[in-house]
Amino acid sequence: MDGGGSDRSQTPSYDSDVPEPGAGGTVILAPTDSYADLTQGWQGSLHEIRRPRHSSGTISEITNRSKPELAGEKQEREKDGELKDKLNELQVTDDEDLSLTSSDETTASKEDEKEGGQTAAVSSGPSASGLTVIESDSEENVQTEAWRSQRKHIFVLSEAGKPIYSRYGKEDKLVTIMGVMQALVSFLQDGNDSLRCLVAGKHKFVFLNRENLNLVAVAKTEDSYHQLLFQLTYVYNQIISVLTYTQLNKIFKQRRNYDLRRLLTGSEKFIDNLLHLMDHEPSFLLGAVRCLPLPSSTRENIAQSIVQNANVKDLVFAILLANNQLITLVRMKKYFLHPSDLHLIINLVNASESFKAAESWTPICLPKFDASGFLHAYVSYLDPGCQTCLLLLTVDRDMFFTLSECRQKIVDRLNRYNCLTAITEALARTSYSISQVGIADLRHFMYKSKSTAQYTSPELDAPYTTKEEQERLFGLYLYLHHRIHSSARPLKILFHVGANETLLGWMTSGFELYTVFGPLVTKTQAITSINKLLKWIKREEDRLFILNAPTF
Amino acid sequence: MTGKSPEKTPVSLVNFFVFNSEYGPREGEEEKKILYYYPPNTELDKKIKDVGLCEAIIKFTETFSDNPCEAMHAQKTRQVFHQPEKDFWMVLTVSIPSSEKEKDGQSYMEFHEDDVQDSVFDAVLKQAYRMFKLFMGSFQHILEKGTAQNLKQRLDHFFSRYLQTLKLNQSDILDVYCGIHFLPLDKNTYLKIQCLINLLEATFLQVKYTAFLYNDQLVWSGLEQDDMRYMYKYLTTSLFPAYMEQELQGGSPYSSSTNVTGGPSTSHYGKFVTGPPSLTEPQNFGKIPRIFVNTGRPDEECHLLVYRALSATVCMLIEGSFQIPFDFFKSLDSFLGPQLSSLASDIGEQYARRPPSTAEPLFKYVYFNYMNLAQKTTIHADSNKKTAGSVSVPPDIMRLIGDINADISRSSNDDNETIARTQTGDYWVVGKKSDQREFYVVINQKNANLIEINEEVKKLCTSHFSNIFFLD
Repeated sequence: MDGGGSDRSQTPSYDSDVPEPGAGGTVILAPTDSYADLTQGWQGSLHEIRRPRHSSGTISEITNRSKPELAGEKQEREKDGELKDKLNELQVTDDEDLSLTSSDETTASKEDEKEGGQTAAVSSGPSASGLTVIESDSEENVQTEAWRSQRKHIFVLSEAGKPIYSRYGKEDKLVTIMGVMQALVSFLQDGNDSLRCLVAGKHKFVFLNRENLNLVAVAKTEDSYHQLLFQLTYVYNQIISVLTYTQLNKIFKQRRNYDLRRLLTGSEKFIDNLLHLMDHEPSFLLGAVRCLPLPSSTRENIAQSIVQNANVKDLVFAILLANNQLITLVRMKKYFLHPSDLHLIINLVNASESFKAAESWTPICLPKFDASGFLHAYVSYLDPGCQTCLLLLTVDRDMFFTLSECRQKIVDRLNRYNCLTAITEALARTSYSISQVGIADLRHFMYKSKSTAQYTSPELDAPYTTKEEQERLFGLYLYLHHRIHSSARPLKILFHVGANETLLGWMTSGFELYTVFGPLVTKTQAITSINKLLKWIKREEDRLFILNAPTF
Repeated sequence: MTGKSPEKTPVSLVNFFVFNSEYGPREGEEEKKILYYYPPNTELDKKIKDVGLCEAIIKFTETFSDNPCEAMHAQKTRQVFHQPEKDFWMVLTVSIPSSEKEKDGQSYMEFHEDDVQDSVFDAVLKQAYRMFKLFMGSFQHILEKGTAQNLKQRLDHFFSRYLQTLKLNQSDILDVYCGIHFLPLDKNTYLKIQCLINLLEATFLQVKYTAFLYNDQLVWSGLEQDDMRYMYKYLTTSLFPAYMEQELQGGSPYSSSTNVTGGPSTSHYGKFVTGPPSLTEPQNFGKIPRIFVNTGRPDEECHLLVYRALSATVCMLIEGSFQIPFDFFKSLDSFLGPQLSSLASDIGEQYARRPPSTAEPLFKYVYFNYMNLAQKTTIHADSNKKTAGSVSVPPDIMRLIGDINADISRSSNDDNETIARTQTGDYWVVGKKSDQREFYVVINQKNANLIEINEEVKKLCTSHFSNIFFLD
């Protein structure tokens, strides 16, 4: 087991000529750096504006390639059709202002108008007295102690200060507090500055200004400022994935005061679920996905079943998921799926019960892939227990029946080779426990292969069996990740002895490793252990990672 | 680590203000809330807006948090908040360092938010209040004796000078500690000093508290720790340097080294740093600062009389109500002069006998003891005056120490160890806290590994802190 020389095991070292464990020959997902997503966001608004987000996106590129003559026209028609209903609604409200629709909405819109007036006054010429006026109202609306003491609040509001989403509590009860948030944001904007964060005790208040939307996190968790900002970016992307950037922009261009909740009705649950996942799943933090451990031959067989049976024109991605883990991903040559887009897909599946009832056909915008338009997803579970979910993503909105046929053929082949049984067994086994790794005193770890954006981590065993302990463990990882990925002072190694555990984090050009030991481990033991661990991962890499990226 | 951008603007003071929202609760009365605002030539409208924004932020954070707002981070500025007394808020705003960058052929300003650390500027702000309190008493104390107008005048009087002395760009972990350098001495000398002070306090009953320093190092103090902490800061960063400068320039015509004035007294080196510049001029009492301490009772006003012989200094806090007659100075001089001169040369000899530090060690460290506020540093060449360029490790490494310190302060357990290896530059920073003592070691060594670094630190602990138990 200990093959390295003595000085090798003394030092955390990994030969950089050898690919890191989990590095495949071909890339399956677009590789990421942690926070890569954010670099544009926090560096200031300048290149944010210049980022080409719309114009001819990836989708039209694909459509163009397959139907050169009709492409442009076809794409236009497709988009228009998709949102026609929603747009109509917008048109109506535009003409008749906000004071129509049913009676209970009328009261809401009255409040809205009042609020709109207030914030407008503030943003046009904010004065100290303007701020205090709003402030004095807020007492009535502040909710119960239970609401106040939530660990992590998330709010989304429009640039006019209209509530769009609140993780806890009804948005329309939070009109005033969101008005204050907007007033603070625009006050600093007027001073040619921009609000990032407030700190009070354990609480952090993080503000993210995006075009058209402001997002605010109020948290007393272990998350750092950058980690919270990152989560807000995910929430923003989730909204884009429902509406597309083009649509969002168009709506607010037409009507700055628009109540976006009308368009997001029914999709709050996706944001709720996303936030829940981000509080538990390391994949978001790491910018990576976890694969369902499977023998490589089985995985290869599954991939082949898809490649052979779903090789239809305009199919961009075929994804097989189980229990938030990736089984395989087949992609069109030239096109990569960004992990954060895959996270939104995982969230979509995770949050939807309806997919279990029948084959479904749903539009989804993947912001990293193309924020300007929708892909169309055929979604269907393959097993009676509804654990293994197949998604086929295409640019063609009329392909449902073709893809439904593909699904049947895929299932047939998977059954012929007993692949579905293999998946069910793998799911029943639970991933793997730390004891299988066989390193004394190592309690838990997360390993990310950077080039493939995949990570592996054992199940949570003792002492991390209660919710509190699991939260605490996740907090330790947040700390380790935060210190190591500090944008100004990044670290290569971080060793930390706390009251209950010893932590060791290690960055190389190829991988990120976060380990949790018992409190009494010595430095020598810890280093010997991680060298052993890397060897173990290397040995298991076929099972833990997707090393080959099949393409159509 | 951000080595590619050498042209960073320094952290600088944007504004500083003190307000009390209770003073102008009605609309149109906002001006009354502002007790002090720097820079003073700011338009009233802007002052009112800035205070209004802070009020809004404080209220907003209260909606969620039981703890008061501490900081606001913006792209270009950082603001720290402190509520030293009920309803009184102090706010300090500093600029975020920026540098010009280029992307796609267009230049833009990059702001280095991470260069500004809340813990450091929070300490700078709290220190500003404590210094005010040392010289002026608490806000409440001033208001008990006078009006809000008096308070405003005092704030203006004090801060218009104090703010000029801030060196924000050089603020670091030492501001967070605000510690004291102690001079360790052998038992005999220490007892002699104690003896002298006891005799002094017994002979001159108006002397309520005494402190003894040698150069910039504290030997003995009869004050509460917190009083001593800020008085020490004043002595070492302001009073002593100004006095030394004056001495060097021969500003005082009476700076002859011997003082053979009053009849029978023998020749000695003693003279008043605050108080009469010469004992032959009975009409010139010199300047004696008044300070407020909380050792015996809150806001106790005292005269701060400082007497020095060679490198030894005795600080005497004399009852504020006592009108010091000129004879008092004369008696003090003849009592202290000879004894202090001989003590000073004793300590000087002991000092000289110490082996000079051998070759530049591989590591630099900073140490702080939370129990007695003792502080040591080999990172700073000159920890009190903070001359530019006196810090021997890169700024990012200093800030990394600040990061680890902030983590440790937040952590609930008392014993901590953190070892960090930077991604570039081959720097290792080791932070340890054990039994209320905290220290950081910086090692710059190529190809070192965790085990070797650990060994180095162990060696350092045995050689420099052998009497302190650190968990391994």
